[in-house]
Amino acid sequence: MQVDAMREPGRRPYWRSRWWMPAFSLFLGALMFGAWAIGGSPGEGVFAFGVMAVLAGVFFFGRRSDTLQGLGGPGRDERWRMIDLQASAAAGLVLITVVIGAWLYEIASGRDGSPYSALGAVAGVAYVIAVAVLRRRS
Amino acid sequence: MSSPLDTPAVSSYLYIAMRNEVRRHRTERNLSQQQLAEAMDVSRQTINSIEKERYTPSLPLAIALARYFDTTVEAMFDAGGRDA
Repeated sequence: MQVDAMREPGRRPYWRSRWWMPAFSLFLGALMFGAWAIGGSPGEGVFAFGVMAVLAGVFFFGRRSDTLQGLGGPGRDERWRMIDLQASAAAGLVLITVVIGAWLYEIASGRDGSPYSALGAVAGVAYVIAVAVLRRRS
Repeated sequence: MSSPLDTPAVSSYLYIAMRNEVRRHRTERNLSQQQLAEAMDVSRQTINSIEKERYTPSLPLAIALARYFDTTVEAMFDAGGRDA
């Protein structure tokens, strides 16, 4: 793994650009607007886009905050990548626990367990594939 | 008299407390944390966490720090003992 300090000068990864998170937030906002508009509620879509635009502004103008820089791009160094990895793993664990719990509840209630069975299956397959890929790469 | 049976379990080496001399080297050169962070292309928070021994840098970053201060990784980072 190449430390950021050893990279060729001027070749920062794209996710460390100050524009990355603001642009990504606006992109998500556009997706949300599109989904709401297709679903027949363009007003809700405008609101959702507005929320994401505000978030984009927070990331862009909050450059003096170390936390926002770490979350939003320029300050995303190895320590933030580790934090992000651990936080993502924790969130994934919580999510799969909720999915399994909901599935068990659905089954115990005499229903077929959908959509939680499908969600759980996707999570399980994704984990196995990730382990297989990462194992070969390491 | 010690014997091979006294060797600590291998897993205990994973919990060695890592001390470092980053702050001492930085202050000797009158550098701020921000300046060192910019030189290493990491955040000031990362330098602060390393100096407070809350975060152990990756091997490439440790090597970069040692080179920057014209010393060795072994001299800069000291695994003092199993007191983590």
